[in-house]
Amino acid sequence: MTEPRHSPGAGPPKSRMLVAVLSLGGVFLAFYLVAYNMGWAPPIPCGSGSCAMVQSSSYAWVGPVPVSVIGLAGYLALLVLSIAGLQPRLAASRTVSFLLFGGALTGVLFSAYLTYLEAAVINAWCRYCVASAILITIVFVATIPEVKRLRGGTIR
Amino acid sequence: MKNFYIIIGVVGVAGVAVVAFALRGGGTAASVPVDLGDIGDQELVDLAQGMVYGDLDAPVTIMEFGNYQCGGCAQFASLVKPQVDLAYIETGQAKFVFHDFPMPSLPHSFLAARAVRCAGDQGRYFDYHDSVFRTQRQWSRPDSPVGHFNDLAEELELDTGAFGDCLNSDRHADVVTANATLGQMLGVNSTPAILVHHGTGRAQHLGGFQFIDIQQAVEAGPGN
Repeated sequence: MTEPRHSPGAGPPKSRMLVAVLSLGGVFLAFYLVAYNMGWAPPIPCGSGSCAMVQSSSYAWVGPVPVSVIGLAGYLALLVLSIAGLQPRLAASRTVSFLLFGGALTGVLFSAYLTYLEAAVINAWCRYCVASAILITIVFVATIPEVKRLRGGTIR
Repeated sequence: MKNFYIIIGVVGVAGVAVVAFALRGGGTAASVPVDLGDIGDQELVDLAQGMVYGDLDAPVTIMEFGNYQCGGCAQFASLVKPQVDLAYIETGQAKFVFHDFPMPSLPHSFLAARAVRCAGDQGRYFDYHDSVFRTQRQWSRPDSPVGHFNDLAEELELDTGAFGDCLNSDRHADVVTANATLGQMLGVNSTPAILVHHGTGRAQHLGGFQFIDIQQAVEAGPGN
């Protein structure tokens, strides 16, 4: 994949700044759920919402790995990529654009699947999961300009 | 770029603060005094017997209204209850009483409560209770948990025939329902709900369910 040169004078892409800020929020959100799954956080009561049911269902784990760990890894990757993509040397990098858009797309599809499970299979909602679904959707929208960068256009 | 790094810094500091607050317990609501003698319906009270663990004559009673399908209750059982046992139950200072509190939104919780009581018929209530909580993730899925409950009975070397007959009947359904009704009458609306009673005066419905919440209520002595 050829890397186009970053044109001097073009500032860092603002959409990547947004992705970085939102991904950092996602890191904290996912870390809290990891802490809950690992027993580092106090138990969540069941009653006002069914977050505890979602988190204790078999769907909250992929084998021995909590889904929240996958989310944490995803948000960390998006955070690192977006900050790296703000550096002048990588601002026009198609590889960064590809990884950012692909990562966000994977995240939003995975999140959509989890939301489907909450709505149609588990029949319960976890507010932290819903917050994460909204967050990753906004992150995905913010990475849409990366598609134009991949095609060789320039977007600030 | 400078503004960006300032925003990242602010979000980072705010995030650390929020997560740290949440990990410390997220703020505990105040305890609420509850008059256990104020139920009025003696028939209900007689039917809604909780299962007692510890010295029956212990001066303090620690009551839990719990739900077997609630992740918070499973964490309470694995993380907090052992500390309570060590500090208060095994020293004879308190007895622990578990009341069922199934909820329609946790669809297997009623059956789980009945299964544990079926094990209780064979004198293994708390062994089965612990096993059900420990394996919660394995049976808390949409398909029927009956097979899992039968497997647990086999693992604990119960009379599986008698256990199966009990589980396939509606035995203990009235007692489980009465437990939940009693909880509602005492103001329970989420699980695990912990009440501490010193034998006289009113009980305290604790605002939290960490060990420190129980410790403070037990050490505080009888309320008014």
